[in-house]
Amino acid sequence: MAGEEHGPPLTEAGEPISEAEALRRLRQTDDQSLQYYAAWWLGRMRSRHPDTVPLLRSALRQRQPRDPGAGVEHNAVARNAARALGKLEDGGAVPDLLAALEDDDDGLREAAARALGELGALEAVEPICARLASGPAGAGAPQTNSPKLQEPCEALIEALGAIGVADPAVVGVIEPFSGHDRPLIRSAAARALLQLTAEVRWGEVLLELLEHPQLQVRRAALMDLGAVGWRPALEPIRATLAENSLKLIALRGLVEQGSGEPGLEALLGAMDDLL
Amino acid sequence: MSSLPMTDPFASVSPLIQAVEQADTATALLVATARLASQLAGDDPPAPAAIAALVQVLGFNNPGAAVAAVDGLIACGEAAVAPLLDNLDAHNYGARAWAVRALAGIGDVRGLELLEQALAGDIGPSVRRAAARGLGQLRSDALPAQERREVLERALTALEAAAADGEWVVRYAVVVGLESLALALTPESGGSDGELRQRALQTLTLLSQPDQDTTVVPLRANQALGRLNPAA
Repeated sequence: MAGEEHGPPLTEAGEPISEAEALRRLRQTDDQSLQYYAAWWLGRMRSRHPDTVPLLRSALRQRQPRDPGAGVEHNAVARNAARALGKLEDGGAVPDLLAALEDDDDGLREAAARALGELGALEAVEPICARLASGPAGAGAPQTNSPKLQEPCEALIEALGAIGVADPAVVGVIEPFSGHDRPLIRSAAARALLQLTAEVRWGEVLLELLEHPQLQVRRAALMDLGAVGWRPALEPIRATLAENSLKLIALRGLVEQGSGEPGLEALLGAMDDLL
Repeated sequence: MSSLPMTDPFASVSPLIQAVEQADTATALLVATARLASQLAGDDPPAPAAIAALVQVLGFNNPGAAVAAVDGLIACGEAAVAPLLDNLDAHNYGARAWAVRALAGIGDVRGLELLEQALAGDIGPSVRRAAARGLGQLRSDALPAQERREVLERALTALEAAAADGEWVVRYAVVVGLESLALALTPESGGSDGELRQRALQTLTLLSQPDQDTTVVPLRANQALGRLNPAA
């Protein structure tokens, strides 16, 4: 999955603010767009201030309707708070994120699942498995009148892979999704299964998806191979028809998450060629 | 190298240019661009119309075709510099990134100012990273000593400033740029080279320190330092 960045809505750079200013903006509740930006900022800058996590935890409990006119998503502040908490390596946020995983808003469940995955929260394995247990025909069925699925399957599956409990029951919950109609779900399933089982066949599924006719699928497979760090994918990644930016992120993953052959010299050389 | 008819030195590429202009699917454009690019790589001089066609492909949001076009433009070398500089599209980040990448690969010093501006101020990380790599690869050897020193110092100064870029991939490209810049600065060619090389090493040392969002940048910086100081 490529959509990891939820930057400020206006400009990527924004105006530089201080940590104190970010905390002030998150603390007030009159202007939610300021809170939204502040939550993103604190996660992105890996804030270590003692007020950061408590403020993000209370922002995670904030609810607000979608405002399409202002380009504001449903529960925007809470979702960004969840994303930021995923980056802050503070296990204290896990109970709040577990509660958010049970929210009616599937977008918030999605953000919470990703954060729990980033935090490696073992406590999340069971509730996530419970959400996926109905399989591709249940959790993975499309919602009526929406392109979304019943559950944010991609995020839930990827979180299981990231947390890394290689229990046969967990593998058994994910495996049916490797046959889902949607290639992005198959990609997420193969990624998680490769992380959990290290079986080459799941890497091969991702290599096949690198040749998918849709660019969006090829991009997702690149991100998934990078997340796993599966080094045998080096040459296929180089040959994929996609932006160099994404190939670079994937190769960075092979360097940082992977081990074995091909080694660093080959990986870094391939990255240099893509700059 | 193919021998060309005397009457129209560019006749052999005309059908290939047409194929690029008429391609109506992403795959057809990719194939046509790759054919034109590989033909051009063997032509001397390259046909201006063919260069223009490749420059246009950079703006089509077709990464595969753009890669082929960049390769072709780099193979054209100096002849492609003016067409690239004259056709920069301020509103198309993708196209700009490819153009900067082509200029970076050509290494012509006429691209210096564009690369400096791109690295310092472009909003697209892909543009900044291509610029950083290119600043390390400017071919300045043929220049008079004074001018050469000025070009290298400007490139180095731009790279030093970008060592604090917020995007890991730009910092990675800065490492690669500094490494190639420093490798071109041979200590025997005089005191000023040694001084610039020292500055490059300092910035590489800074970038080799643990980094909060990535380990790949320090890894690459250490690799560069090892190549520059084989004894250490």
